Amino acid sequence: MNKLTPHDLEKMHQASSGASKDWIKVGMSSCGIAAGADDVFNFFIEEVKKRNLQIEIKKCGCAGACYAEPLVEVSVAGLPPVVYGAVNKEVATKILEKHVISKMLVNDCIFEVLG
Amino acid sequence: MYTKVILVKDTDLKREDKTREFYTHLLDYLRGSNLHSQIQVVRVADIGVYDKGLVIKILPDKIIYCNVQDSDIKRIVDSTLDQGKIIEDLVFKLKAKQHRLVLRNCGKINPESIEEYIACGGYLGLKKVLGELGQQKLIEEIKLSGIRGRGGAGYPTWMKWNFAREAASTEKFVICNADEGDPGAYMDRSILEGDPHSVVEGLIIAAFAIGAPKGYFYIRAEYPLAVERIHKAIKQAYDFGLLGQNILGSSFNLDIEIRLGAGAFVCGEETALISSIEGKRGTPHPRPPYPSVKGLWGKPTVINNVETLANIPVIISNGGKWFSQIGTQASKGTKVFAVTGKVKNSGLVEIAMGATLREIVMDICGGTLSGKPIKAVQTGGPSGGVIPEALLDTPVDYENLQKLGSIMGSGGMIVMDEDDCMVDIPKFYLGFCVEESCGKCAPCRIGGFQMLGYLKKISEGKGVADDLGQLRRLSLAMQKASLCGLGQTASNPVLSTLKYFEHEYNEHILNKRCPAGKCSNLVTYEIVEDKCKRCGLCVINCPVQAISGGKEEGYLIAQEKCIKCGRCFDVCKFKAISKK
Repeated sequence: MNKLTPHDLEKMHQASSGASKDWIKVGMSSCGIAAGADDVFNFFIEEVKKRNLQIEIKKCGCAGACYAEPLVEVSVAGLPPVVYGAVNKEVATKILEKHVISKMLVNDCIFEVLG
Repeated sequence: MYTKVILVKDTDLKREDKTREFYTHLLDYLRGSNLHSQIQVVRVADIGVYDKGLVIKILPDKIIYCNVQDSDIKRIVDSTLDQGKIIEDLVFKLKAKQHRLVLRNCGKINPESIEEYIACGGYLGLKKVLGELGQQKLIEEIKLSGIRGRGGAGYPTWMKWNFAREAASTEKFVICNADEGDPGAYMDRSILEGDPHSVVEGLIIAAFAIGAPKGYFYIRAEYPLAVERIHKAIKQAYDFGLLGQNILGSSFNLDIEIRLGAGAFVCGEETALISSIEGKRGTPHPRPPYPSVKGLWGKPTVINNVETLANIPVIISNGGKWFSQIGTQASKGTKVFAVTGKVKNSGLVEIAMGATLREIVMDICGGTLSGKPIKAVQTGGPSGGVIPEALLDTPVDYENLQKLGSIMGSGGMIVMDEDDCMVDIPKFYLGFCVEESCGKCAPCRIGGFQMLGYLKKISEGKGVADDLGQLRRLSLAMQKASLCGLGQTASNPVLSTLKYFEHEYNEHILNKRCPAGKCSNLVTYEIVEDKCKRCGLCVINCPVQAISGGKEEGYLIAQEKCIKCGRCFDVCKFKAISKK
């Protein structure tokens, strides 16, 4: 890796903004991992591959709502970005089938609607 | 494609959950008006409003209606959804809101990716500092912002930096204090795990401000994931030329190293922390000289808390003036609290200084888990105090909390309801401080031990009236004579409970009763004949066979055998066991 100059930094900052694709973020801090975020993350990766879905699975830190871990934030075009809480494999399946594929929010699992 | 989304949630905990019922009625009405293909109705697990009956939120208009009845469905659909009119008598305006500066990226970016941090404006603050500001203007900017240390004492950050900058020495150091040890507090861990680069950037800027070529992260080894992520962040920063020689093409050089703490609470105190980094036993030494004059290896050293450092990049990017507009007169910016205990939504809350405790606990965190009234809130961990329910409307800032006999501390906040005993709570915290006292100075080593003895005595029902006076005298001695913050503040939980809950101490001492039913020696369990349905569940569950009797004649608890574990009380479905 070449050392950055101030100019490079500015360029990296600008180049990265604006790219918006569908994604799923799993909160992977200590609290999330303790509640099973690792399994949920791996499950999403496998299922997305199996079903050949066009969605990116990302990791992020804890957003703060520790009582509802594991937290999963989903952003799909046409729907408001939402945070699902207490996600397990069952809820994760619903998120993929209902939210990502059928473009409908999943009942009883949303803890926060962003944006 | 849906044009609108309606979120539904019943927030009344006292009755049966009506979310599903209302959801069905609303859906039926929408079908009847042929709107169901345009509007999606969703039941949510949390709607951000608490104890306001049935709440609905209409998106994307962000209209919130509370205390909605089935009879309101018609007017909501007809006027709000159809004609866009707002129904004034149902509208709910959110009072308290989180203000996320420090947690700006937590839960947003991948903490293991420097690219994502840069995409969110990361390291642009450093670029501004190196390219435009220079040392003098940087410190002026921090002074203008009014930020004070987030580790507990609230010392102005710019002053620390300025002392160290003015100190004539070729060798200087910066240290990030990530030795977070308060029971129930984990803000720093979440920041380190969720946004490590913001802390690294803050530390680089602090090093530049004083002209230090070397920095340390002091993290406790109990935070393996935080250590791993900081380690990665530092490596990435080296790879990108943000650490090492000639940072961003300037003449500034900085190396950063991680030092692991073994988990001693006292090592969060800055002089003890310095000893620990030097490889010595982690014990404090008297100040002055302050570390900014004579610190690590006897050289000028700046020690900042994780949260303070995470604030620095935003202050630089947006300017000190912008930052100073957030918060109160004397306490600027925001504060992250880790709200735990008997609260519905435990977790991290970041609010602008000046929000009230009630807003944090009731409006943001949803009140108590059990629905029982709040008794008190404990802030500041073992060094803080207990604030009673009546004072929850106090705006949170350094001075106000101090006036109430507590402290801001690093940001732990423990919510207690009426089942918590105000003799038991200080006993727990004092026990922690006695355990963690390094033993170097007598007031802390002996005073803490003696005070704990008095508290144990009172909780066992052996207290006498004079004990409270002794507790007060010992507290004063510890405050005045202890060497470091640990001993000086260890008596705060005792003093604050004595101030606000003296009647509870007196109940223990004079009437040998524990009003909260926590102190097991003062509690008796008895069977209430009238309510007992003779199910026998208590007999099966009693671990010491203290309950005798049968289905015919009823049951009796033999007090001499009872170990007061409370199993019978917990398992009885008919509330036929009394606890006094």
